[in-house]
Amino acid sequence: MARAIRSNTRVDLIVLSACIVLALAARALPNTMRDPAATGIRRTFLVPLVMLQERSEKARQSILAADAKQSFLDSLSLNSMKASDLESENERLRKVIGLGSRIRTGFVPAEALHGRGIRDETTVILTAGSRAGVTRLSPVIAPEGLVGVVDQVDPTMSHAMLWTHPDFRVSAMSPDGTAFGIAQAHLTGATGGYLIELRGVPFRATLKPGALVVSSGWGGVWPRGIPVGTVLEEIKTSESWARTYLLRPAVNPSDVYSVMILRRERLAKGLEGVWQNVAQADAAAQRIVVSGDSAVRSAALAEAAARRALLDSMARANGIAPLGAGDSVRAVAPRPAPVPVRRPPPDTSPRDTTPRDTIRRDSVPPPPDTIPLRPGATR
Amino acid sequence: MNVGGAIRALITFLIFVVLHYTLRPLLGWRAPMDFLILALLLASVRVRPASAAVIGFVLGLISDSLAPDALGAGAIAMTTVGFGASYLKAVFFADNLVLNAFFFFLGKWVFDIMYFIGEQRVHGVELVQQLLLWSPLSAAVTAAAGVLLLFIMRPLLEPSSA
Repeated sequence: MARAIRSNTRVDLIVLSACIVLALAARALPNTMRDPAATGIRRTFLVPLVMLQERSEKARQSILAADAKQSFLDSLSLNSMKASDLESENERLRKVIGLGSRIRTGFVPAEALHGRGIRDETTVILTAGSRAGVTRLSPVIAPEGLVGVVDQVDPTMSHAMLWTHPDFRVSAMSPDGTAFGIAQAHLTGATGGYLIELRGVPFRATLKPGALVVSSGWGGVWPRGIPVGTVLEEIKTSESWARTYLLRPAVNPSDVYSVMILRRERLAKGLEGVWQNVAQADAAAQRIVVSGDSAVRSAALAEAAARRALLDSMARANGIAPLGAGDSVRAVAPRPAPVPVRRPPPDTSPRDTTPRDTIRRDSVPPPPDTIPLRPGATR
Repeated sequence: MNVGGAIRALITFLIFVVLHYTLRPLLGWRAPMDFLILALLLASVRVRPASAAVIGFVLGLISDSLAPDALGAGAIAMTTVGFGASYLKAVFFADNLVLNAFFFFLGKWVFDIMYFIGEQRVHGVELVQQLLLWSPLSAAVTAAAGVLLLFIMRPLLEPSSA
């Protein structure tokens, strides 16, 4: 028994020694022989395991790359979300810069800070005060037109009344000076949006829908020529001696962020011509749209005529009366004998001499979504 | 060990080898677990020292073939670890997870010491750092993984009642 154990131990030691010697021999092999030996093992026994390891490495790289790709996609979508805001802000700032270059001097740029209070949809805080030359009743304008007027001034900031304020009034007129009136806020409770009323327009003066209304310069607060809004329609009021028009405001009060406060010395020079190019551009755009519409209409008429001619020729070929020949057939057919018509006696009652409404029927107001929403209001 | 036990041990051995070439590169840890050492140790305690030395030699050569510059170093280390584990199985062969964990830890650490010294690629402070910091860490991870796998594969490793 003891001999068998000793024999087994001897065999174990011999095998161990042989393995160690072989391993040392492998370790001592020169590079020229070591590489072929390793390559041989890799290409025979180890092929499936190397394949597994390769796939695992690829899987790990995919996992790591997936994290990087996900973070890249996240930042990309975040940037794309910011891009629209940046574009709109850029556009707004471009307009402000363009307005500043047209006004040239006598203005103070400021940011409008909207509050979240109950009456804050009618007032804003401006980031410029008396140290920058802002005084009480200084006009506040935006690239689109009239915004409001400063009513309280601090050294570093000021408080402005927007045109939506119930106490706000401005003398306004049509650009050609044929119609004058007083513009004030008009709260449309049904739509939840603010519009402007132009009240006290003389009865002889009519304004067509889409006509621009600007400040008249009367009163000494507002210079002449600042866009107030565009005419939507005439509204009926109890004032029978004057007309009242509903205007779509040039400036949406909830979109006011960058404004300009006009200084006193600038008021005397007026602002005529500052918005003239904008008005001309709008008129040109409208003309382009109208000409485009008429071109489309002409094309549609030509197509309809061609289609009708084709149908007529097909009808003639089939021996049927052409579709467009109804009037001529009726002209050739014998007419029935005329029936004497008994006319009613002439109306001797006095005629209504009241002048009729001169507003055109086709003056359809724009869709409701063009009406600016009050901040916090829902449709 | 009967035939059923041998087959189960072989399956376990293959599972560990496959894990070494799949899970280890997938995790890519700085102190990686060594499933080949675990496979060698689990096989060594079930065979004679001579067989354990041969298994260690073959496993070492296979692992060395992926790093031809160190061809033979892994074979020497694994041969020694396998033979030692089989020779000392009377000491460590116990159904105690903590003892098995220590067994795995020691086996991996001894392997690393022999491998890095035999490889002669790392020298000086780097070698000391490798042997005293990263190798024990890797041995600890290997021991933890080994204990976990032993716990999971207990039905496969225990001898059948029949």
